[in-house]
Amino acid sequence: MLSSRLIPRTAVRSALRSQSSLPTVLSPVSRWRRGYASQAEEKDLVIIGGGVAGYVAAIKAGQEGLKVTCIEKRGMLGGTCLNVGCIPSKSLLNNSHLYHQILHDTKNRGIEVGDVKLNLQAMMKAKDTSVTGLTKGIEFLFKKNGVEYIKGTGAFASEHEVKVALNDGGETSVIGKNILIATGSESTPFPGLEFDEKRVVTSTGALSLEKVPEKMIVIGGGIIGLEMGSVWSRLGAKVTVVEFLDQIGGPGMDNEIAKQTLKLLKKQGMEFKLGTKVVSGDNSGETVKLEVDSAKGGKSETLDADVVLVAIGRRPYTAGLGLENVGLEVDERGRVVIDSEYRTKASHIRCIGDCTFGPMLAHKAEEEAVAAVEYIKKGYGHVNYGVIPSVMYTHPEVAWVGQSEQDLKKDNIPYKIGTFPFSANSRAKTNLDTEGMVKMIADPETDRLLGCHIIGPNAGEMIAEATLALEYGASTEDIARTCHAHPTLAEAFKEAAMATYSKAIHY
Amino acid sequence: MASFATATRLSARLVSRRVAQDAATRGFRTSATSPAAQNFMMPALSPTMTEGNIATWKVKEGDSFSAGDVLLEIETDKASMDVEAQDDGVVMKIMQGDGTKSIQVGTRIGVLAEPGDNLSELEIPADEKPAQTDTKKDEPAQKEEAKETAPEKQASGQKQPEKSGEKAPPQKYPLYPSVEHLVKEHKLDESSISEMTPTGPGGRLLKGDVLAYLGSVSSKRPEEIMARFVHNSHLDLSNIKVAAPKEAPKAAKAPLEAPIPEDLLVSLPVSLAAVIEVQKKIEATLGTFMPLSTFIARATEVANDELPLPSNYKPTANELFNQILGLDKVGPKGSQGNYLPQISALPTPTLSGVAPKPKTKVDIIDFLAGPAKKSANKAKKAALRPSFSTGNNIFSLSVPKAEEKRAKVFLQRVKAVLEAEPGRLVL
Ligand SMILES: Cc1cc2nc3c(=O)[nH]c(=O)nc-3n(C[C@H](O)[C@H](O)[C@H](O)COP(=O)(O)OP(=O)(O)OC[C@H]3O[C@@H](n4cnc5c(N)ncnc54)[C@H](O)[C@@H]3O)c2cc1C
Repeated sequence: MLSSRLIPRTAVRSALRSQSSLPTVLSPVSRWRRGYASQAEEKDLVIIGGGVAGYVAAIKAGQEGLKVTCIEKRGMLGGTCLNVGCIPSKSLLNNSHLYHQILHDTKNRGIEVGDVKLNLQAMMKAKDTSVTGLTKGIEFLFKKNGVEYIKGTGAFASEHEVKVALNDGGETSVIGKNILIATGSESTPFPGLEFDEKRVVTSTGALSLEKVPEKMIVIGGGIIGLEMGSVWSRLGAKVTVVEFLDQIGGPGMDNEIAKQTLKLLKKQGMEFKLGTKVVSGDNSGETVKLEVDSAKGGKSETLDADVVLVAIGRRPYTAGLGLENVGLEVDERGRVVIDSEYRTKASHIRCIGDCTFGPMLAHKAEEEAVAAVEYIKKGYGHVNYGVIPSVMYTHPEVAWVGQSEQDLKKDNIPYKIGTFPFSANSRAKTNLDTEGMVKMIADPETDRLLGCHIIGPNAGEMIAEATLALEYGASTEDIARTCHAHPTLAEAFKEAAMATYSKAIHY
Repeated sequence: MASFATATRLSARLVSRRVAQDAATRGFRTSATSPAAQNFMMPALSPTMTEGNIATWKVKEGDSFSAGDVLLEIETDKASMDVEAQDDGVVMKIMQGDGTKSIQVGTRIGVLAEPGDNLSELEIPADEKPAQTDTKKDEPAQKEEAKETAPEKQASGQKQPEKSGEKAPPQKYPLYPSVEHLVKEHKLDESSISEMTPTGPGGRLLKGDVLAYLGSVSSKRPEEIMARFVHNSHLDLSNIKVAAPKEAPKAAKAPLEAPIPEDLLVSLPVSLAAVIEVQKKIEATLGTFMPLSTFIARATEVANDELPLPSNYKPTANELFNQILGLDKVGPKGSQGNYLPQISALPTPTLSGVAPKPKTKVDIIDFLAGPAKKSANKAKKAALRPSFSTGNNIFSLSVPKAEEKRAKVFLQRVKAVLEAEPGRLVL
């Protein structure tokens, strides 16, 4: 413990200080005092959390000429999304897909490959390189836009003062005319199964397993579970997804699309236990054992795996933030209570991103960040919550925006549907990647687009067009009358629009 | 918002937006090829602002300004704000001077020209909107005005569902392909377009609006759909069930009132013989005298590094978060201590040959040396002046029970450093 390394370092440190007066050298107070920065000037905006919500707000505020400080404790900017979420997961998804394709899908394309070997460490390194590059990029943007960046953990001391326990030791405090809470979310734990991030893992552990597990169980068939399940399944694990509901994909995914997704993922080798409830878990043995029941009651069985990924959702994270010190409220699910302008009970304290209401998505957090800063600076901001796209980056990808068939059914809203399969799209055909379809839902009378649901290659990029169409109140005829390049996958999008308002040409 | 607005001065870059809108509304009249002056209207600096006062103009007629320059200061009941120019230009005319009160949003307050325009050759454009102050008595006219300003609010992004009953304002952008198609197909003209009720975002005319106008779909349908879109565009903040407030504010105070738990005395005998040896050597070779206190101070500092956590240690939010991320396995397990040992001579005479003469030598040690005290003392009590011996001493700490192990480790380290290799402390 008392490593020799410490001694010279300490000696140098103290040699720099005055030796003449014992009290200053020995005083325990001096250590503390060194940690306190002098009380800073009042900032226009103090942001707690440097995730997507926080960092975008910080940059935007800097651009608007506000004096802004962003407090982040992770030591890296970008939050969940850049460090342990969207970005690293997409790196692994992309590279595991390539690996899988090289293993299984080259011969029929006229490519013969020799020995294909997985170097997991190198794959992880590629992921880390992407992450580091992007987080450093944000730090650069902070500098560029004059954002003060404090590495530490913020907590409310009073309505305008945030105390920061600095990562490097010591404490400081910042005063803000306005304060923005952007502390994000964390994985919801499964009662009785403690995370060790080796065998019982959150998505964070699943993003950096040291070796490919033989057997993996994913609890929860939502987007994160299916994405991470796909990664390890492609790399060779036998993956079983246990989902309580009878459907995968989470709440927003259109039922018809979800069914097709299930079929395609099964075909890729993933196993599914739907309508199945995990009752208890035990990780004392060689493998992790799960007791599962049929959700409707009845037969129970024991599953076991080397790694269990708990992906049953995420919950707002405000621990240690001292919300109670300033009397701010959270709802029963831990979301910080806000009004339509993101104001908490204290009108100069706003809250955006995963730690408050709305879908937990990075681009939603980003939109809110801009809107919140505009509310502060200009008195008006806007996010259109009806037009926020969702993407699942499995293969094929699944993407949607607007309303689903089940939404409309539930509210008794009439609708018409047009679909177009990728198997009839020339580009998909030439790519030998023809699974999936585009599905459009429109008002039967006025033809206004109500929602769009895509499963297929590049769905995540294609959904941008549907989002634009919805934002502008377009009809499917408007889409169909817009020229799309040939041969592209996007033609399937256009043909689906044609199928909705009249008839597809190529189907 | 209000509290912030009054506390600070907002600044708004609205000018060019206003000008752009204005240009758009008036269509070709302000196209780039024919230089023309542009009306500068009272801007809405917040969605709720309906009128404002001009505090002061910061520019005079004939002044050139650049993007970012403050043109004037506007006051509302809530705040006073600077209005900045986003593009370069020249002030051609100021219509509403300093101190003019209650100017309706959208009323002309001045005329601006492009940089380099020859003001004497430019015509002042017509004011499409009667100044509100003049038409105050004329209620219907004022209603007209309110309608006309509405699309401008929309252009800044605001949804105006309540506007649904109104007829189409002239469409400022290309018609949607489907709309254009229907218009041509049914040989509709401009005036029939203005008869239609747009239900698209920002007053845009949609296919359904034309179909409703033509009577081929129910006339209510477009508005029904619009209502649903407007509803969906908002975050659902209805029926929020607030969690019972944490009792934390009280809990935070409670520890202050709680009785301070009894402290424990942890002590260890430490010989300073080796230190004195080194001290002598240094004096002999380098000619400098290193006070004992320096050795002790450095030993203390080294020993305080990364001590085991107290048994009742509550992890910080940071550490909890790292646990969630699984980062706690790699991070340091301990924390920095700030112990300062009490030093007192052993009650038995020291065996060391060096006879301590604390009172005769002028040394910083004298400062420390005081009447021996063997009872439990709080380390931080400044009043304590423990004595010590250059031979065997008792180093002790008075700590809460939970820190017993932490304190012991600390003392063992101090002992190890001082007895085994004190020379390294002054390397
Ligand atoms: C595996 C995974 C994959 C995902 N993939 C996608 C995707 O493909 N697309 C998508 O849109 N979304 C995705 N998400 C969701 C996305 O990551 C989040 O919606 C997004 O990160 C939310 O941003 P945020 O800023 O609100 O919160 P976060 O990104 O969680 O950032 C909050 C930050 O605040 C910091 N913080 C918290 N408390 C304090 C404090 N007291 N003091 C200082 N700092 C503090 C935290 O360290 C954290 O860095 C994914 C999430 C996961 C877990």
